[in-house]
Amino acid sequence: MAASSLRAVLALTGKDLRLLSRNRATLFFALGWPILMALFFGYVFGGGGEKGRIPVAFVDEDRTAESAQLLSRLQATAGLEVTPSIREEGTRLVRQGKRSAAVIVPRGYGLASERLFHGAPRKLELEVDPARKAEGSMLEGILTGAAMQSMQDLFTNPAKTRGMVDRSIVDLDAAPGSTDKESTRKFLGELRTFVDRPRQTAEGGSSAAGQGWKPLEIELREVRNEKVGPRSAFDFTFPQGILWGVIGSALGFALSLVSERTRGTLMRLETSPLSRLDVLTGKALACFLTIAAVESLLLALGAVFFGIRPASWAMLAAAALSVAVCFVGIMMTVAVLGKTEQSASGLGWAIMMPLAMFGGGMIPLFVMPSWMQTVSNVSPVKWGILALEGATWRGFSPSEMALPLGVLLLVGVAGFGLGVRLFRGGED
Amino acid sequence: MLSLRGLHKRFGNVIAVDGLSLEVRRGEILGLLGPNGAGKSTTIHMAVGLVTPDQGTVEVAGRGSPRQPGVRRLLGVAPQALAIYEALSPEENLRFFGRVQGLSGRALAERVDWALSFSALEDRRRDRAGGLSGGMKRRLNLAAALVHDPELLMLDEPTAGVDPQSRNAILDRVVELRTLGRTVVYTTHYMEEASRICDRVAIVDHGRVLALGTVADLISSHGGDPVLVVREGGVERRLPTRDPGGELARILAAGAVEDFRVERADLEAVFLNLTGRRLRD
Repeated sequence: MAASSLRAVLALTGKDLRLLSRNRATLFFALGWPILMALFFGYVFGGGGEKGRIPVAFVDEDRTAESAQLLSRLQATAGLEVTPSIREEGTRLVRQGKRSAAVIVPRGYGLASERLFHGAPRKLELEVDPARKAEGSMLEGILTGAAMQSMQDLFTNPAKTRGMVDRSIVDLDAAPGSTDKESTRKFLGELRTFVDRPRQTAEGGSSAAGQGWKPLEIELREVRNEKVGPRSAFDFTFPQGILWGVIGSALGFALSLVSERTRGTLMRLETSPLSRLDVLTGKALACFLTIAAVESLLLALGAVFFGIRPASWAMLAAAALSVAVCFVGIMMTVAVLGKTEQSASGLGWAIMMPLAMFGGGMIPLFVMPSWMQTVSNVSPVKWGILALEGATWRGFSPSEMALPLGVLLLVGVAGFGLGVRLFRGGED
Repeated sequence: MLSLRGLHKRFGNVIAVDGLSLEVRRGEILGLLGPNGAGKSTTIHMAVGLVTPDQGTVEVAGRGSPRQPGVRRLLGVAPQALAIYEALSPEENLRFFGRVQGLSGRALAERVDWALSFSALEDRRRDRAGGLSGGMKRRLNLAAALVHDPELLMLDEPTAGVDPQSRNAILDRVVELRTLGRTVVYTTHYMEEASRICDRVAIVDHGRVLALGTVADLISSHGGDPVLVVREGGVERRLPTRDPGGELARILAAGAVEDFRVERADLEAVFLNLTGRRLRD
C-alpha cells in the first residue's frame, strides 16, 4: 500500500473511531451491554460471593498455642478465606481447584517458635496450584508477615521472652559444639539483661541474630489443579459478554457502512483518489481496533475484579485477535446484505441473535445438550467463546486452539472478501 | 475540460442515459436542466467515475477516465444528498475530506480555513454539523467538494431543500468559483437558477441533451415569439409577435387600450416547446 493510501486509510479509521465515540447507542451495545450480560449471568450462575479473597485450607498438625495463633492471624487477614482442614483433604481441595493453596503447620512449629536465634527455625508447608503463582507468592508474604508478628509479640511480653531465653540457653549448653555457640550464648545473655530492664529503656535495641538464622522456613510444593471446568461463573460469562460486545461493535460498524452509502459520504469518498478497497479497509481497521479494545477492556475487567486467569497470554491474544478478524468479516457481509440502515439493522440482529443463542452467547456451551452443541458448530459465536475459554479456564494446548482459531480466521477472511466483492457504493 | 461522448446507461429495463454527448469548456458554468428522472444525476455519476457507462467515454481535462486516481484529484463532487458527517464539526469534516484527497500539514490547514471562510462557516467551525441549519449544511456540502481545490466541480442539485436566502448565498458562491477559474457542472430543475448563473445550459430529458447553448440562444431558438397581452373593454388578448412595440403602436392607433404587457419566453417555455411537458411535471 502506498504511503498516501495508508495515510488516507488511517484518516478513515480515525474518523470512524471518532464517530463511534460520539454514538452513545453503539457504545452501549459495544461496552455497557456486554458488561451487564457478564455480571448478570455471572451472579445468576453463582459467580458472586467471596470474589477477591483467596480461599486457603489450613492444616494444623502441631496443635499448639502458636499454631492456633497463626490460624487466627490468617483468618483475620483481609483477602484470605481460611478454612481449617486436615492434610489429605487440604491437598485434595487444592487439586480440585476449590482452594488456591493449603497451609500446613507440621508438628514442632510451636516448639521451634520458642527457639530464638539458633537451631532449626519454625517451618510451614505451603501447597499451591502452579496456575495460581501470584496468589501463592502473596500467601508466602502473608505467612512471613505473620511469623514476624509473633516475634514482635514475643518482645512485647517480657515474662514470656525471659522464659524462652532461659530455655534457649539451657538448650544451647546441652547441644553439641557449634562454631557460633559462644557468640549466641553471649547474645542470649545480653538479651536476658535487656529483657530484665525497665520497658522505658528498652527502646531502640539492636536486631542482632545468629548467623543464617531465619524466623520461618516455608516449604513450597506444587499441587496441580486437576479440576475440569470453570473456576467461577465469570469464567464463562465474561467470554459470553465479550462476544456480545463484539457483535454490538460489528453491527454498529455494518450500520455505519450502510449509512455512508445511503447518506452519500461513500460516494464522496469513492470520487476521491482512494480505491474502494482503501475505503473498506479503513472501515475494517476501525472495526478491528474497536473489537480488540472491547475485548481488552472486558478481559482486564474480568481479570482484575472477577478472577479470570489466562492459561496463556499468547493464546489469549491469538483468540482475541482471531475473534476480531472473524467479526470484521461478518460486519462486511451484513453491510452488503442491508440496503438501508433499517434493513441492515434488522437483518444483522436477525442473523446474529440465533447464532449467539446456539453459539453459547446466552447459555454456556458446556451445559448445552449434545445435539445443541453439534448445532452450535455453525455459529462463529461458539468458536469465539471456545477460543477465549480455551485460552483461559479450559487451558487448551496449541493444537486444541488450532481449530477454533482456524474457523474464526476463515470466516473473517471469507466475509471480508465477500463484502469487498459485492459492495456497491453508487448505482453501478 | 470534460468530454462526455455517446454515453448510454441502463438500469434493468430503465434507460437512464441514452446517447448523451456534451463538451464542458474550461472556466464555464454549464447547467444540466431537466426534470427529476431526466438522467442528470446518472450523467454526473458517470462523469466522476462512480458509474460505468454501458457505452461511450468520459474524459477529464484531456487526461483520461475519471476512474484513474490521478484524474479524480481534479474533481470535486457535491452530491445531491448531504454527504457530510453530522456527528463531526464542519472543521473535522473538512479536515477528513482533505486528508482522503491527499492533503496534510500546513496545506491542509490552509485549505480548511479557506473552505470554512468560503462557505461562511467560520463561526460554526467547531459545532456539530448535525446542529447546523439546512442552508449551512448545504454550504458545508459544497465546501467539502472544494477543500482540495479541484479544477472541475460537479454540483448535483446543490440548493435542494433550502430557503431562498440560503439559495442566493449558494448561487453567489458558485458564481465566485467561476471568477476563481473553476469549471462547474451544475444540475438543477430550477430554471431560475440556470438562467441566473449558467454560461450555457443543456436541456436534458429521457437521458438525452435536447438543446445546448446560452440562455438567450435557447430562448431565441426554442422559446417562441414574445407575447403582447393587451386589455381592451375588459377583455384580455394575447398576441404572439416578433415586434411587440410595433404591434402595440398599431393597436393604440386603432383605439383605446386599458392595459398591456409583454411576456417573453423563458427556459420553462423552451422546455415546454422541446418536450411538450413542463419542467416540474
